[in-house]
Amino acid sequence: MSAIASSKAVTVTVNGVEYEREVEARKLLIHFVRDDLDLTGSHIGCDTGNCGACSMIVDGQLVKSCMLLAVQADGASIETVEGLAEDGELTALQQSFSDHHALQCGYCTPGMLMSATALLRTNPNPTDEQIKKALQGNICRCTGYWNIFEAVKAVGS
Amino acid sequence: MLLREVEYARPASVAEALAILKQHDGARALAGGQTLINVMKARVASPDVLVDLNGLDDLKGIELGSDGTLTIGAMATYTDIAGSAEARARPILGEVCLTIADVQVRNRGTIGGNVCSNDPTNHLPPLLCAVGAEMTIASEDGERTVAAAEFFLGVYLTAVGPGELLTKLTIPAGKHDGFAAVTLGADGTCIANAAASLNGSLRVALGCVDAVPIVVQPASAAEDAVREAVRGAGLMPPSDVHASSEYRIHLAEVLAVRAARQAAERS
Amino acid sequence: MSDSTTIAPDRVEVQAPQKQWQGQSVPRKEDKRLTQGQGVFVDDIKRHGMGYIHFVRSPYAHAHITSIDVSKAEEIKGVYGTLTGEEVASLTDPFFQLATPPGAHLKDYALALGKVRYVGEAVVAVVAETRELARDASELVEVEYEPLAAVVDARNAQDDGVPVLHDDAGSNMMWESVYEWGDLDAAFAEADRIVKIKELHFHRFNSTPLECDGALVEFNRGTGQWTIHTNNQFPGFAQIMMGPALHCGLDKLRFVTQDIGGGFGNKITSHPQLVACCLLARKLNRPVQWTEWRTDFHLSMSHGNERWFQDTEVAVKNDGTLLGFRTKALDDAGAWLRYEPLGGVIWAQVTPGVYKWRNIRLEFTQVATNKAPCSPNRGYSRMQHLWFTERVIDIVAHELELDPVEVRKRNYIKTEDMPYETPNGCIYDSGDYSRMLDIALELIGWKDAAARKKEAASRGKLLGIGIGSTLDSGTNNFGQSRMINPELQFSGNNEVATVKLDVFGEIVVTLGTTPQGQGHETTAAQVVADILGCSMDDVYVRAGHDSYWNSHAGFSGTYASQFAVTGLSAVKGATDMLAEQIKRLGSVILGGVPVDALELADGTVRIKDNPEAALPFMACGAIINANNAGLPEDLDVTLNCRYVYRPPFEVPDVEKKFGNLTLTYAAQIHAAVVEIDPETGHYEIVDYAAVDDCGIRIHPQIVEGQVMGATAQALGAVVHEAFEYDEDGNLLTPNFYDYHVPHALDMPPLQTGYIESPSPFTPLGTKGMGEGGGAGIHSVCAAVQDAMRGHGDAIVYDSWNPYKRVWEMLQHPEKTRALVEVVDA
Ligand SMILES: Cc1cc2nc3c(=O)[nH]c(=O)nc-3n(C[C@H](O)[C@H](O)[C@H](O)COP(=O)(O)OP(=O)(O)OC[C@H]3O[C@@H](n4cnc5c(N)ncnc54)[C@H](O)[C@@H]3O)c2cc1C
Ligand code: FES
Ligand code: FES
Repeated sequence: MSAIASSKAVTVTVNGVEYEREVEARKLLIHFVRDDLDLTGSHIGCDTGNCGACSMIVDGQLVKSCMLLAVQADGASIETVEGLAEDGELTALQQSFSDHHALQCGYCTPGMLMSATALLRTNPNPTDEQIKKALQGNICRCTGYWNIFEAVKAVGS
Repeated sequence: MLLREVEYARPASVAEALAILKQHDGARALAGGQTLINVMKARVASPDVLVDLNGLDDLKGIELGSDGTLTIGAMATYTDIAGSAEARARPILGEVCLTIADVQVRNRGTIGGNVCSNDPTNHLPPLLCAVGAEMTIASEDGERTVAAAEFFLGVYLTAVGPGELLTKLTIPAGKHDGFAAVTLGADGTCIANAAASLNGSLRVALGCVDAVPIVVQPASAAEDAVREAVRGAGLMPPSDVHASSEYRIHLAEVLAVRAARQAAERS
Repeated sequence: MSDSTTIAPDRVEVQAPQKQWQGQSVPRKEDKRLTQGQGVFVDDIKRHGMGYIHFVRSPYAHAHITSIDVSKAEEIKGVYGTLTGEEVASLTDPFFQLATPPGAHLKDYALALGKVRYVGEAVVAVVAETRELARDASELVEVEYEPLAAVVDARNAQDDGVPVLHDDAGSNMMWESVYEWGDLDAAFAEADRIVKIKELHFHRFNSTPLECDGALVEFNRGTGQWTIHTNNQFPGFAQIMMGPALHCGLDKLRFVTQDIGGGFGNKITSHPQLVACCLLARKLNRPVQWTEWRTDFHLSMSHGNERWFQDTEVAVKNDGTLLGFRTKALDDAGAWLRYEPLGGVIWAQVTPGVYKWRNIRLEFTQVATNKAPCSPNRGYSRMQHLWFTERVIDIVAHELELDPVEVRKRNYIKTEDMPYETPNGCIYDSGDYSRMLDIALELIGWKDAAARKKEAASRGKLLGIGIGSTLDSGTNNFGQSRMINPELQFSGNNEVATVKLDVFGEIVVTLGTTPQGQGHETTAAQVVADILGCSMDDVYVRAGHDSYWNSHAGFSGTYASQFAVTGLSAVKGATDMLAEQIKRLGSVILGGVPVDALELADGTVRIKDNPEAALPFMACGAIINANNAGLPEDLDVTLNCRYVYRPPFEVPDVEKKFGNLTLTYAAQIHAAVVEIDPETGHYEIVDYAAVDDCGIRIHPQIVEGQVMGATAQALGAVVHEAFEYDEDGNLLTPNFYDYHVPHALDMPPLQTGYIESPSPFTPLGTKGMGEGGGAGIHSVCAAVQDAMRGHGDAIVYDSWNPYKRVWEMLQHPEKTRALVEVVDA
């Protein structure tokens, strides 16, 4: 029978780096990554799962990390915004966000980039409608999204 | 954001999950967590033990029987359903799943969680009532099935009792279905919705108008018949910030007509 | 007519230096870190041994606090301590009030004292080792309440028998004033018709920046100084509020900020929470950290002013010429005056809107209610007023069966009348509203309106087109605060920048501003690079704000559409000083060539006629900073220049309520097309055009980004976003589930256009901008009303038009029509 516990040793790989920590069962993945692992690129913009600022790719799947417990991610491979650029070299998508002024305050940007990254992996040439649909779970309060659509589209085509 | 203390278990089998649920009064199944974790953040609910069903592959299958009956595991996500070739046998399911919230929520949220949480604004409770789904509920004492129309008992209250799990949903063959909703923004939360199924007789289920979906059976899919059936249901929906009771009654009627029309027009 | 005349600011020659960088949409300097998740937002900052704060909040809208017991919470292992209202009151003075009596009598502290006045008001703070524990412990704090009836409708806040929120004030009326300019009697006598509008309502919402408020506060026992890492967007104001309350000098309050996740005015009034943090950091002798969660933000932070316009009367000629109006503005400030009653005068920056109205009377009354306190929100107080003027235009046009385009054009202030003095002495600097409207109409396809309506009707839809205009008045004259309270000793405005050339030739710029996405590092670098003749890449603009940098003035911050004027003018001023110093140094080193024979180019100072004779900036920096022996004694050069830009303002005439209240007037003309499903009231914005004029654009892409963002916020506000309360004072929209902000799929196609009318009053010809999005609310309201023409002719009377309201208006247009009456004069 599996153990029932209020805290647990958790091993995760984040952006290729393995971490092992003892975690309270109640801790959300987003808090674990931000507070315990000090990877503060992913953000928190709501407390109801609406905003997507906390979006990460967990075992290949885009999720909002504020609705996942850290203990649920035990053994998982996690990708966050910090893992996109290599050696400070922006990905085409990151560069496109800058080129198209798809970010203002930049608070939504990490989540937005993860959602767009997930989209482009499965659909390298998305239509406008597919882009909107793919970003539906990420709120941006600064840009009105239009430039974000353009940025994603430019990478696609 | 900050949950109360909770214990966590990740059972390796359905049997184990049922055993834990039985042993701990305050234990709750954790499916996609897209509702449960949020209510725990608000500390509105604070289970003592979370029984994580995510490791249970037995609950994830989507199968199409030779008679066209579709069996969907409770832990199938909206993304799974929308992408499943089998589930396309009943196209409305995937179509509606694709309009629930957003990619991230669809990647985690499950059909089982959707019906077990029975939030009156959820998409799937009325839809599953309309298509005549049957829910299979398991406990250490065995299995039972409950028709969708009897499954929903109240807000966040269903036929799944303590120590029980919803394991799968069975949906009969059929194609003539419709779904209509007025939502808060595109693909947003439903202000009112209606699902219709015209496979044999017409069944329309209305969401957001009561604690549970209200099922009506109009004599035909003709507009008048549908309106009459909805009026006959004596709806007394709640008022909230998005709609007055009166507005919801009106929407229920309009959406029922639209869902029925879609069902009838579908080939 | 008023006999006094405002002194228009002197025209500034708009300089056109070799503009290599300005006017270009260069890559933003901020983007590299922000796209990699390397920004530093307040919640990213950690300190060893820090404690986490959790606020215990009131579940009641209005109640006496009969007892508070923190003992159980404090017993928990890992809990560092607590703070109550009584303790706060013993350690601080109440915040200074801007209002005259009765509002002046409010006793506002960091935590509730004796009474709670809105759901979500902070009552006790608990600090613990972890976030979770702080919240656990706060559940053990026992607070007993004796509930009182709640005041939730401003319209009956002053009725007999209604409970009074603040006994100190004696009533729920907080501040009132009558504004009157011109000759109302003459205007109404001259009128052919009088259009009477019983009531219009501008709803409560705010911009909900994605990042909520927060702070990490450290106390230095030895120096008595607090370091406040926070995302407060107006540290100058926060300091002025906090210093007296905490009995400390302003330098003891060091504000530090790097990246801010959106502000929109909503992050100006966090001073109560910051005071609680300061007290706890001192009391517990450890750094304390406060994160505001989304629900906390919705319940308690900076709602936009809700306003009623009652008993409006508009004097018009039959041809649609607008002569004047009277109205009563009833403003709902919520439970406390945190920045209020400044909203009671800020609207007057745009008194006649974009129209030639000369005779205006507005009775302004602000009341307290049991809702979250109001504070600035993008378009602060002007948006409410401009929505009102735009509603009036469309109602007048429809009731007189005139074309809303014609009425607008007839009444617009003309470009040839610029600079234009409004009836209350504001000077509109430049602009061409008619031309902007033409562009907007062209973009939206106005001339095809009839055909589009027909086509939509064939699909069962009601199509409507509407126009909305706004003025984004930028760079406040804080002297207007004296119209609120003549005792206040504020006037003018200022901003600071420093620019220095360091040892290795690095050009380092510091700003007094607290940007939240406006790209200040980039635009500042553009201005500096053009003046110094170097590459933007060689200009390092420090990220964020630190009051220790000495680039900090009384009005420092980022708010109220002013960076392009105050911030960049300060940058320009400091850089001009530096350029001049570099030349003077160059003159000495290059052998006594006259200063005007020198130029700055390619990162050097060189002789114009002999570019080979050049001294690189690196050498300049090295000589002054590290190799200065033998330089002439009278060479007064530091290569470290600080400049305070002070816009040209006079103190307004407080008696007559007359004077120039803002320096620049950017304009927005928007047009919207909506399609209503008449069966459900559901509607979509199917086309949208936004035309903007903010004078010279330093970075067109950033400017357009502001236009887009403001537009999106307006579209959310008009259709979905509202802070709605039930009759017990419970907020019905405390999170993003019920408070629906626009998502990707909600966005209509957008077309943007612009014209550039340089401001004659600013050093760069720029105008402040960023707040003009209210036009989206106005244009959608107009479009919805237009769509219902011939289908009941309902009047859009509210700025919030969710589907349920549109359906109501279609069902019962007569209820809305009863609000309007046209009488022959
Ligand atoms: C931003 C956002 C928007 C959303 N919008 C919509 C929407 O528009 N329409 C909509 O329908 N939904 C919406 N949802 C809710 C979402 O669909 C949830 O996924 C769903 O309500 C619950 O499914 P879950 O798998 O996440 O279940 P969980 O949250 O894990 O569980 C929900 C409840 O069901 C119980 N439960 C789950 N599975 C079982 C089982 N097999 N047996 C017994 N009990 C079980 C749990 O114990 C819990 O009480 C939204 C969610 C979010 C975060
Ligand atoms: S913080 Fe996760 S969705 Fe908002
Ligand atoms: S850029 Fe600020 S929230 Fe998106």
